[in-house]
Amino acid sequence: MSLAQVLFYMMAFIAVASTLFVAATKNLVRSIFMFFITLFALAGLYVLALADFVAITQIVIYVGGILVLILFAFMLSGKETLNVIGTQSNKFISINKLPAMLLAGLFLIVLLNMIFKIDANNLDWVKKSVITKNMILPDSSMTENIGINLMTKYLLPFEAISVLLMIALIGAAHLSRKGRGA
Amino acid sequence: MNFYITYFIIAIGLFGFSALFALFGVYAERKVSAFIQDRLGPTETGKYGSLQTFADILKMLQKELITPAAADKLLFILAPAIIFIAVYLGFAALPWGPGLVPAKLNLGLYYVFAIISIETLGILMAGWGSNNKYSILGAMRSAAQIISYEIPAGFAIISVVMIAQTLNLQTISSQQGILSTETIKFSGFWDVTSTGGFFAWNIFRAPHLIIAFVIYFIASLAESNRAPFDIPEAESELVAGFHTEYTGLRFALVFLAEYSMMFLVSMVGVILFLGAWNTPLPNIGPVHLATWTTNAGWGILWIIIKTLTLVGIQMWIRWTLPRFRVDQLMALCWKVLTPLAFACMLISGVWRLFLM
Repeated sequence: MSLAQVLFYMMAFIAVASTLFVAATKNLVRSIFMFFITLFALAGLYVLALADFVAITQIVIYVGGILVLILFAFMLSGKETLNVIGTQSNKFISINKLPAMLLAGLFLIVLLNMIFKIDANNLDWVKKSVITKNMILPDSSMTENIGINLMTKYLLPFEAISVLLMIALIGAAHLSRKGRGA
Repeated sequence: MNFYITYFIIAIGLFGFSALFALFGVYAERKVSAFIQDRLGPTETGKYGSLQTFADILKMLQKELITPAAADKLLFILAPAIIFIAVYLGFAALPWGPGLVPAKLNLGLYYVFAIISIETLGILMAGWGSNNKYSILGAMRSAAQIISYEIPAGFAIISVVMIAQTLNLQTISSQQGILSTETIKFSGFWDVTSTGGFFAWNIFRAPHLIIAFVIYFIASLAESNRAPFDIPEAESELVAGFHTEYTGLRFALVFLAEYSMMFLVSMVGVILFLGAWNTPLPNIGPVHLATWTTNAGWGILWIIIKTLTLVGIQMWIRWTLPRFRVDQLMALCWKVLTPLAFACMLISGVWRLFLM
């Protein structure tokens, strides 16, 4: 196995194991902090996939932003409400969990179907890209590529997302504003 | 295999440097504060009290590590390590001289920006893990402050990146001196590519970056929790903020992180705005001052001098200005710094299109 493969399996293991811990633990704070490790392992996987810009963006947005916001929401809520989770029934199979299990099971079927059906080593579009040299090499510059593509090929989705975020921002500002009477 | 050993040596060297800097930083801080408040500061230990912080750290190492009974032990123990490692990792991408950079990342600046934001998480971890009202209040304040001030800092950085057209810190550095491969224009009209010196620094290449620099500097004070933005550890209200419960070595790590952070943000500021490792001396006619003083050795000297100057200003500000109230803090960030930073970014774009 090459070094890259060893690294890949290591990161993948960390990601899977920490995610299992996040889902299984009853200590909510620890599960949030464990999620931080998951996100880091994912960032590592992105780096291995030559998407270093995505990896760093993942850290900036998820670790620096969203995770801290989750923690904020968590710390602003009372301890009693949070302790409810600790007192939930411990049974693995119960009627409460039926929807979740159904969803998880169906998703597993979809995933397995994908894995068995796809022939990852001879994908058509991958071969075509290799022939037309439309691919990214380890030493090519990613950031310029992303910028140029965002401003040409994907301009419409980019603008749509900007408008969506703007709407969210205005909505948040409106909600947090005090009413005139209050 | 040899280059792995070099990596280790560099990593250990950077750690040693940040520890040494913290040691002298604390001493300097005490002397500066003493000077500003017309006191003497430490005088007893060593000549002029110069061994005072060394004695302090020896005392700190011997102290008992107390973990509060109600604390979340794992989070409590891990937090100082995460706070320090977040800052320490940032040093990996910072260039020290021409050709001298620990990790030559083409996303260096973005990486540093990302890795610094992890510190917030460590602080929240410490605050929650301590299970103490003061700690958690301090941690919440700190996180709110750091997240808010990341926005003006980010936009000030973007306005530099728009001028420099790269995220590679080494390329940004070499653009600001005689080693530049593109033409540098002082204020957009005078070609100073071969003159170099302070004329080629980013803040003089595009004068609106002076405003961006001030915004970045103020935001960096807030990000390293320094006065006048030290409400997270306001000792009159919160005992010591998020590190109230820490003792001994763990407290030392938190302190080390604070001083390394001061150095890191100052160094990033120097690299982006003040010419990085480039000399301030220009070439004047036959006197090639810039050419003589641009190489690896001089580079390290210049960047350390400039960074220490900024650190000195940080200390000066800390002991001169009173602490901000929380609403003033947020008003300054959102109503003054953020719009100004946006304006800088806009001017940068226009500048790049029409004057470069």
